[in-house]
Amino acid sequence: MEALGSSDCNLEILETLSDDAIQEITESYDGFFTTVESLISGTGDSSVEDEFVSQVYCLCKYGLDSLVRDHFLRSLEQAFEKGGASSFWQHFDAYSEKKLTNYGEEIQVVLCKALEEISVEKQYHEKCLSIVVHALQSYKEQSSVDRQTSDTERVHLFSRFQSMLSSTLMTTLPQHFPEILHWYFKERLEELSAIMDGEQEDDCMDLDEKLRYKNGEMDVDEGYSQGKRLGHDKLVKNIGKVVRDLRSIGFTSMAENAYASAIFLLLKAKVHDLAGDDYRTSVLESIKEWIQTVPLQFLNALLSYLGDSVSYGTTSSDLTSPLACCPSPSFSKVVTPSEGIVRWKLRLEYFAYETLQDLRIAKLFEIIVDYPESSPAIEDLKQCLEYTGQHSKLVESFISSLKYRLLTAGASTNDILHQYVSTIKALRAIDPAGVFLEAVGEPIRDYLRGRKDTIKCIVTMLTDGSGGNANGSGNPGDSLLEELMRDEENQENVGFDDDFHTDDKQAWLNASRWEPDPVEADPLKGSLSQRKVDILGMLVDIIGSKEQLVNEYRVMLAEKLLNKTDYDIDTEIRTVELLKIHFGEASMQRCEIMLNDLIDSKRVNTNIKKASQTGAELRENELSVDTLTSTILSTNFWPPIQDEPLELPGPIDKLLSDYANRYHEIKTPRKLLWKKNLGTVKLELQFEDRALQFTVSPTHAAIIMQFQEKKSWTYKDLAAVIGIPIDALNRRVNFWISKGVLKESTGANSDSNVLTLVESITDSGKNEGEEELLTGEEESETSIASVEDQLHKEMTIYEKFIMGMLTNFGGMALERIHNTLKMFCVADPSYDKSLQQLQSFLSGLVSEEKLEFRDGMYLLKK
Amino acid sequence: MKVKILRWHAVASWTWDAQDETCGICRMAFDGCCPDCKLPGDDCPLIWGACNHAFHLHCILKWVNSQTSQAHCPMCRREWQFKE
Repeated sequence: MEALGSSDCNLEILETLSDDAIQEITESYDGFFTTVESLISGTGDSSVEDEFVSQVYCLCKYGLDSLVRDHFLRSLEQAFEKGGASSFWQHFDAYSEKKLTNYGEEIQVVLCKALEEISVEKQYHEKCLSIVVHALQSYKEQSSVDRQTSDTERVHLFSRFQSMLSSTLMTTLPQHFPEILHWYFKERLEELSAIMDGEQEDDCMDLDEKLRYKNGEMDVDEGYSQGKRLGHDKLVKNIGKVVRDLRSIGFTSMAENAYASAIFLLLKAKVHDLAGDDYRTSVLESIKEWIQTVPLQFLNALLSYLGDSVSYGTTSSDLTSPLACCPSPSFSKVVTPSEGIVRWKLRLEYFAYETLQDLRIAKLFEIIVDYPESSPAIEDLKQCLEYTGQHSKLVESFISSLKYRLLTAGASTNDILHQYVSTIKALRAIDPAGVFLEAVGEPIRDYLRGRKDTIKCIVTMLTDGSGGNANGSGNPGDSLLEELMRDEENQENVGFDDDFHTDDKQAWLNASRWEPDPVEADPLKGSLSQRKVDILGMLVDIIGSKEQLVNEYRVMLAEKLLNKTDYDIDTEIRTVELLKIHFGEASMQRCEIMLNDLIDSKRVNTNIKKASQTGAELRENELSVDTLTSTILSTNFWPPIQDEPLELPGPIDKLLSDYANRYHEIKTPRKLLWKKNLGTVKLELQFEDRALQFTVSPTHAAIIMQFQEKKSWTYKDLAAVIGIPIDALNRRVNFWISKGVLKESTGANSDSNVLTLVESITDSGKNEGEEELLTGEEESETSIASVEDQLHKEMTIYEKFIMGMLTNFGGMALERIHNTLKMFCVADPSYDKSLQQLQSFLSGLVSEEKLEFRDGMYLLKK
Repeated sequence: MKVKILRWHAVASWTWDAQDETCGICRMAFDGCCPDCKLPGDDCPLIWGACNHAFHLHCILKWVNSQTSQAHCPMCRREWQFKE
């Protein structure tokens, strides 16, 4: 018996068998075959079963129990393959050709039906299997002492059956079935979501209650929205049934994949739907709420329906606390059901954060464009990034969109600067330490340094605040002036922080507040303390030094002040005060003097008027002193002013010299020196048929006044009388020609061209529109030498040095020229220019074709 | 045609009518101000001595006050007297 029972069939056993035994085996073997067949096909009645059991006994007696198992399973497999599996798949054959999107409603029915059928078949097979198991067991019980094997027998056989079943199905799996499943769950979830959305409106339970509610404690809120609840429960039950059936045929992971991906898809769609292109509202909360109400409730219901939550719970509680080997029953009962859900919740929320983050990062450029309005979106993004930690993604994508959309030749410097400022502000909100800002700001700064008008734009942004300079509609500068003011408010604290901390307590506080840099920080770029996020500082950083910025501002201020006729400088004073706070009193000294000049001028002007009030009656052609006002400058402190000689007509000249004399009387021994070409003149041209008012420069006025006596002038004569060069005259005259006041008639050569006054409007056949362009050009002329011109003038001293250097050394790189100049030009005037200034000067020389620039080296042009 | 001037806003610069450009004491421009002052002009006036040499008022006062005996003009060494 022992020999026969052993599993290895050595052939000697065959010889020990008697003929009778062989006869018996053969008979029962045949009988076994037929009974198995009839049993599986279900054709026989209860007698078949009995016969089957006896055959099994007989075979087992000869140690052929493994044969019994193998054959039985093999026949089951064949039967299942022929019947269950193929008919199951047949249900879905009709859909093999269709695309994912249009399976239609009936698929639900088909799926349910198919699953139903296959479950029935499976149950039948299981019943057959249990007969075998039973037979084997009872045989063993009779013959063996080893009782424990009985249950393993069962488990073993059923698991073999299960894997046989699912492998059969898997091998015949049509390609489109996962899609069908996916589609099914998607449809059901959408349906569910719709139900939930409707429910949400009249649902004001808090979440705890909801969870308890879903966990089956129906008695708590039984009467509550029963109808919808029923619909919802039914739906969940249906889905649960499908999932359970799928599991039972071994599709556990496929089913889970399908509903997980359906949930994620739905969540993604929801996020996209909620977030959209509206950056003015925060969506994170509503997304979280939605996760809580729709997918989580669904999962909760599903898992509790499947009875899974408990098993989830036990495994996870084992995982989380290996020390707590036997948790108190009440404890585990409360906590465990939610464990699986908690995992799902974390998964879903992470997914939502990631989706929203990707969505926002992709649109970050637009979000920053309308930054102050879009701050809710920024806030969302910040929260998402806190969870996902994918800051580097943000930096990369934002830099590439900056390069593609902002840092191009087509974008105006103003726009770039404005975007830069918004970027600083927005990223400051996301990351107060400024680590990512540094990475993002780098390309913008580099690009801006290459633009010529950057300084000018920055200064304009700084100063053209809300103060109402006429040309600014929707002025982007407001934000920067605001920034200045904000700085002013913070000034006290900053000053305190920057000072030495004599107080130990304060030092301790600072030390305890220290936080390490985020891991993404570039260690090469200094530590947190140096990386103060300061917009003005970052702007100044673009320019290179605050001196350059202040210089540029001074030029702009001068221009502005010279054009003032009403001494109203309140806004300028304010701006200068703010800049003073930021850049220090010393560097703004000259600007202050300029403002002071204006204030003094106002005072002097009233004094002079008062003094001349007593003057005699005006004679013919004389002008009242009241028409004259003046701005008196302390020239040394103003930027170089373009002085142009100009002969003013007699009456005006007299007026000016009278004024100057009065000044001398009041302020002895000081004297006035007129800059006759500067200023503004408001005049009226009185023609026979009309009167025209203009506000022009003194030069223009001088020109037109010459036509009072004489109706036509040649350019040459007019230039001589007014005392300006002919080309300068040409430019000025264009203004009057464009206004239709003067007319040009060609003479023999260009010098003898004659200008004639257009006395009445009928003589003027002017096309006004065309000439407007010329005026625009004229308007842009400035009286202050621009910073570039000044720089150029200062740099020309070094031109000889540079030329000599290049003759001696051949080609030299920018840095080397800079260093050499620094080394050798120490005497009067010492070389104090920055690298950028030198670079722009050199590129000027290149464009003048004096130098050549090749491979980063400057060479003499041959 | 007649041109009627409604308003003429002119620009001028002021200067101390001194013969020299810079103050002999502080070497700053006369039209600027002495090193102690911030604003030029009325706040930092010029003063002439009897010898017709001009200095910033603050500069020469400092000089005069630092001398124990009779002060002399830093330029010509004559006795320093303010010009009447």
